[in-house]
Amino acid sequence: MDTSVLHKGERLEKVFLNEPSLDLHLVQEAGSCVRIYVINFDSSRSRDLEVFNRIAIDQAGEGCETEIYALAYLKGDEKVTTETHVTHAVGGGSSNQLIKFVLDDKSQGRFLGELKIAQDAQKTEAHQTNRNLLLSEDAEMRTQPQLEIYADDVQATHGASTGQLDEAALFYMQQRGIGKQKARQLLVNAFMKEVLDKIPDSLIPDSLTPLLDSIDGVVQ
Amino acid sequence: MAKLLEIINLHASIGGKEILKGLNLVINEGETHAIMGPNGAGKSTLSAVLTGNPAYEVTAGEVRLRGENLLAMEPEIRARAGVFLSFQYPVEIPGVSMTNFMRTAINEKRAYEGKEPLSAKEFLLLMREKKKLLELPDKLNNRSVNEGFSGGEKKKNEIFQMAMLEPCLAILDETDSGLDIDALRIVAEGVNRLKTPQNAAIVITHYQRLLDYIVPDFVHVLADGRIVKTGDKSLALELEKHGYERFA
Ligand SMILES: Nc1ncnc2c1ncn2[C@@H]1O[C@H](COP(=O)(O)OP(=O)(O)OP(=O)(O)O)[C@@H](O)[C@H]1O
Ligand SMILES: [Mg+2]
Repeated sequence: MDTSVLHKGERLEKVFLNEPSLDLHLVQEAGSCVRIYVINFDSSRSRDLEVFNRIAIDQAGEGCETEIYALAYLKGDEKVTTETHVTHAVGGGSSNQLIKFVLDDKSQGRFLGELKIAQDAQKTEAHQTNRNLLLSEDAEMRTQPQLEIYADDVQATHGASTGQLDEAALFYMQQRGIGKQKARQLLVNAFMKEVLDKIPDSLIPDSLTPLLDSIDGVVQ
Repeated sequence: MAKLLEIINLHASIGGKEILKGLNLVINEGETHAIMGPNGAGKSTLSAVLTGNPAYEVTAGEVRLRGENLLAMEPEIRARAGVFLSFQYPVEIPGVSMTNFMRTAINEKRAYEGKEPLSAKEFLLLMREKKKLLELPDKLNNRSVNEGFSGGEKKKNEIFQMAMLEPCLAILDETDSGLDIDALRIVAEGVNRLKTPQNAAIVITHYQRLLDYIVPDFVHVLADGRIVKTGDKSLALELEKHGYERFA
């Protein structure tokens, strides 16, 4: 594991694209800001790869900001586990997590989201959202939120849902002449867009541009 | 006049319950047919079956579009062949922009017809022209399909899509419901302007008022899964007065 400290007021913004595995531990001092984007999307790699993402954040100073956005699009036998461990030890900070999985074929996804708000961490704002889209009956998703909230004056929300493509939307698109496969892809892209849209333009890795172009599809 | 659509003894069910019970209807090119009938009679079921909605099962009968077996075609093929449904309840598609959606639809249809895709510029010009027809705002392009649209905006958006796709058979399922007086006029004018001697429309409505604008050649009463009466536009006036009691 690689632990690093973000000093007072420092800022870290980073995209992790198709890392074979990620083990990150960050300690945030007062007023520091972390924005992490974890994208697992690589249909060209070998199909039995198992990826483990572990992101641990300790807000050790007042008024820290943490944002974690994760997207995994899995096919074949791929397995991705994403764990987040966010601890608010001191108050006045915020954390926001949006974790999305798209699971096709026999792929398996797992999200474990541990969120701790210590007794002294008053006025903390923490949000954790996990949304998953199953494209195949053989795909599997496991979600384990673990919330430990010991402070009383906080705003904390969490939500998790796993669903399938909207049949009514699929039919609506087909009724306009859009082939079923393409209609599915449009809906999958729309689902992924929510995470990909968060990545600032300056941080977008070249290898992600074709995907983003196909998703955006907005005619200039 | 060439036969466009022919429905012969159509039976269809949903969830094991029979809704259409031997429906017959012939529509020729150039004609406008109004279908009226009590709630639950099967009007939307008919539009769903004609467009290939997989939730419905056809248990007997035939439907031919220009002589071809319509029921054997996938929903998207029916659409590309020119069957268009203005949905009674248009579907919201968050995250898919109107532009992306419409451009995909147009180019899929063009590919089916063996035509080149429209360039970005040609496409945008077409959008602009058709939006004017429906008096729709420019900002529509970047919004997600129907997401957060008001009831009336959704209906206008249906007719806008119809204007973009220029179908040969348009089925308008209660397109007038939820429209204010001005919107009703705009939508009806839009529909009328899209009329040609080669295409046809099925207008499903509960209100005679729409038929003042879109004047039908025939009015049918659909009750309990069948067409039980056919007349000219005066039948709509009669129904407005007396209701459906005598068809129940
Ligand atoms: N999933 C379903 N399972 C069973 N019955 C259904 C289902 N969906 C619709 N129906 C029934 O099918 C019948 C016909 O419905 P349909 O929507 O075609 O009526 P309609 O003529 O369009 O009515 P309206 O004027 O209210 O729009 C109704 O009785 C309805 O309750
Ligand atoms: Mg209906």
